[in-house]
Amino acid sequence: MISRQLFFAVSFAAIAAIASPAASQAESVLYRDYDLGDGASPSLDPISPNRFYQANDLIYSRLIRQDENGEPSPELATGWTANEAATEWTLALQEGVLFHDGSTFDAADVKYSFERINDPALESPVASVLSMIDHVEVVDDLTAKIVLTSPHAGLVVLLMDYRVRMIPEGSGDTIGENANGTGPFKMDTYDPEGRTILVANEAYWEGRPKLDRIELIAIPDTEARIQALLAGQLDTTSVSRDQVLLFDGSEDFVLQNYPTGDWFGIIFRTDTPPFDDPRVRKAVRVAVDRNAMIKLMVGEGNGTITCDHPVMSNDPYWAEIDCSQNIEEAKRLLAEAGYPDGIEFDLYTSDLEPGMVRYAEVYQQQVAAAGITANVKIAPSDGYWEDIWMVEPVSMTSWSQRVADQILNEAYRSTSSWNESYFANSKFDEYLDLARSSLDFDESKAYYGKAQELLFEEGGSFIAFFENGVRAVSRHVTGLPAVPEDYIRWHLVAKDAE
Amino acid sequence: MIRLILQRLGAAGVTLIIICIMVFAAVEVMPGDACTAFLGRDAKGTILEKCQLERGLDRPALERFGEWAGGMIQGDLGMSMNRNKPIEDIVGWRLRNTVILAATATLFGVPIALLLGVIAGLRRDRPVDLILSSIAIFSMTIPEFVSATFLILIFSITLGWTSGVVTASYNAPALDLVASTALPTAALSLILIAHILRMVRSSVIDVMESDFVLMARLKGVPFRQIVWRHVLPNSLLPTINVIGLTIAWLLGGMVVVETVFNYPGLGRLAVDAVSDRDLPLIQTIAIILGSVYILTNLAADLVSLLLNPKLRTYRT
Repeated sequence: MISRQLFFAVSFAAIAAIASPAASQAESVLYRDYDLGDGASPSLDPISPNRFYQANDLIYSRLIRQDENGEPSPELATGWTANEAATEWTLALQEGVLFHDGSTFDAADVKYSFERINDPALESPVASVLSMIDHVEVVDDLTAKIVLTSPHAGLVVLLMDYRVRMIPEGSGDTIGENANGTGPFKMDTYDPEGRTILVANEAYWEGRPKLDRIELIAIPDTEARIQALLAGQLDTTSVSRDQVLLFDGSEDFVLQNYPTGDWFGIIFRTDTPPFDDPRVRKAVRVAVDRNAMIKLMVGEGNGTITCDHPVMSNDPYWAEIDCSQNIEEAKRLLAEAGYPDGIEFDLYTSDLEPGMVRYAEVYQQQVAAAGITANVKIAPSDGYWEDIWMVEPVSMTSWSQRVADQILNEAYRSTSSWNESYFANSKFDEYLDLARSSLDFDESKAYYGKAQELLFEEGGSFIAFFENGVRAVSRHVTGLPAVPEDYIRWHLVAKDAE
Repeated sequence: MIRLILQRLGAAGVTLIIICIMVFAAVEVMPGDACTAFLGRDAKGTILEKCQLERGLDRPALERFGEWAGGMIQGDLGMSMNRNKPIEDIVGWRLRNTVILAATATLFGVPIALLLGVIAGLRRDRPVDLILSSIAIFSMTIPEFVSATFLILIFSITLGWTSGVVTASYNAPALDLVASTALPTAALSLILIAHILRMVRSSVIDVMESDFVLMARLKGVPFRQIVWRHVLPNSLLPTINVIGLTIAWLLGGMVVVETVFNYPGLGRLAVDAVSDRDLPLIQTIAIILGSVYILTNLAADLVSLLLNPKLRTYRT
C-alpha cells in the first residue's frame, strides 16, 4: 500500500516536472519573430544594405539615441558642442564602456565607425545620410571631433539614425559575421532561418539587462506569425490593420498603436508633361480630402495628416500647413495650366506592401470630382523599384520614418540619387543649406519650414498621411513602451513568470 | 517487366528535363531577378550592376541555363544566389524535414484510412457509413490553409494541448521536429485519409456485390471469412494506386501546410526561393518534387503489377 502511494507520488511529481518546465528554469526569455525581410543570411554589419536589424539593435549602440518623444538623448556620447560655423562637432564619450570581446570603447572606435560609413568601396546606403562628414579627429580617449565638409547644425539628429552604430576599430572586414558591439545583448547563435539567440551582456554599461535571452524565430508568413503569437510562442510582433480585430478585448495581449513617420506617396515626375507645370502638380494634390483618406485607409485615429511633405508631426522641424480639400482650386489651376477639361494619367502601384493598391484606388475616387482621371495600373511587385519607380511618370512610393534633414535631402534635393520626383528647385536646395548652417534653432526651423511649404506649393509628391504602427505585446512583458522599434531601450524590457 | 521499368524511367528523365526548362523559362519571364529581389529599392545603377556581375546574371539566359545543366549532370547543384551556400547544404536538411512530415502523415493516415474505408464499405448506407463518408467529403473540400488554421485555433490557442506553429530550426534533431508536428501531421492526414477512405469504400462495395462473393455467401461461408479471405485482398489492390497518387499529392499540400505551420521543409523553402528569385534553388526543388512524384507513381504501378498476376505478362 505504501509502495503504491509512493509510486503515485513519484509519478505525479515527474508529470508535474515535465508539464511545467518553467518551474525548473528561472530564465527569462523574450521570443520575437524574424520575418526574413532582409533575406536568409542578413548581415551583422550595421551599415550593410541587408542588415539584420532586429539583432543589430540589440548588439550595437549609437552615440545619440531618441528619448520617448523622439528628442536626442545621450547614449555613448554624454555631451556634444559645435563650433560657431557648425562645421566641427565635439563629442564627449561615456567612460568604461566595453565591447562584447572585452576591449574598451574609445574615440578611435568612433573615428573608425564614421569614416567607414563614407568608405566609397562599401557603397553603404548610410553614406547618403552622413556624406557631409569629412573626417573625425581623436582629441583624447574620450573626446572625438567630427569635422564636416559643409556646415550642419542638425548633425546630432542625423546621428540617431538606427544604422549609425559603433563598432571596434579595424573590425570592418569581420563585423558582418562576428558581431562585436557595446549593446545590451551579445550574439550567441546566428541562425536567421531558425532561431537566432542573443544573451544578456553582463557587462552592459547601463546595467545588466533584465532579460536573460532574446530569441528571434524565423517566421516568414504573416498569418503564421499571428498564430504563433496567439499560441504563446512569441511575446510580441507587429500587427497589420486587418489583424487588429483579433486582439479586441484580449486579456493576454496589449495592442500598442504609436505614431510613426512611415508613409505611402504618389510621385508625379516633375520633368514630364503635364507635371512639369507646378499648377498641375498642385491641382492633383489639393483635390484630395486627406481626412477621408485616413478614415478609408487605416481608420480614424490611426494616422496623422501631412501636406505633401515627409516631415512627421513630432519632428522638431515640422511645419504646419493647411491642406484641406479644394476641388474648385484644383479645377482653376488645371484651367490656368491649359487643361480646362481635366487631365488623365496612368497611376502605377503594386501589392508590394499591404495597402499600397488601396491607396491608389482611394486617391482615384477622391480626385475624380476635379476632372482628374487616374487609371490605376497594378504592376508586379517583383522588379517594381527597378522597372516602375522613378521610371513611369506617376507611380507609388513607400518610405519609412526619417528625420527632417535626412528625408528632405534624400528624396528632394536635386542631386540626390533617390530624388524620386526629379524635383530640381535651386531655392529648395538653398533652404536646406541655410537650415543646416544655422546653429540658431528657430532660424534653422524657419528654413526647413520654407522648404516644406515649397514642397506643398510646387512639389511632385502627394503624401496624405503618416500611418501609425501597431504592435501586439504579451501582458507578461514590461518595459516595452508604445514607440517605434529603434526608440526601445532593450535592457529595460522584462518578462514576468507565467 | 524490366523493359517496362526501363521505359518508364526513360520517360521520367524526359519529364524532368521538360520540368527544368519550363521552370527556368517561367522564372526568366517574370520581371526582376535575384538582384532586384535582394536589393529592393537599392536596385539601381552601379550597385545593381555589381550584384548582377557577381551572380553572373549579366550573361544571356541560354548560357546560364547551359552552365547550370552541365553542372547538374555532373552532380554539382551550384550555389544559392541569396544564401551564399552550396545548394545541397540548404536542400538536404529541408528534404529530411519534409520526409519526416510526409512519413509521419502516411504512417498515421494510411492505416486509419484503410480501416475506416473497409468499415464504411461493409456498412454501406448505414449510419456509420453516412457519418464517415460525409466527414470525408467535408475534409476533402476545405482547403488545407483553412483546416490548418482551425486546428491551430482549437488545439493550440483554445485548448493549449500542443504548440501552434513550428519554431524549431531546420537543423533541429529529428525527434524535436517530430514532437512539434502533431498539427501539421493532422492537417495533412485529414485529406489523405479522406481520399483513400473513399476509394477503399467504393472498392469494397464493388467486391461485395461481385458474383464470387455472392457464391461464397450462398455456400454458407461465414461473413468474417468472406471479408478476410475474399473481399479485402481483392478490394485493396486498386487502392494501392490511389495511395501512390495521394502521397505524390501530399507534396503539393506540403507547400501550403508547411507555410501555415512555419515548418522548415522543402515546401516553405520553395516559397522563399521563388520570392528570392533564387533560380538554382528553385530548379533543384522542382527536380526533387518532380522525381518524387514520378517515382511514387512508378512504385505504385509496380506494386500493383506484382500483386496482380494478370498484369505480369503485360506488354507495352
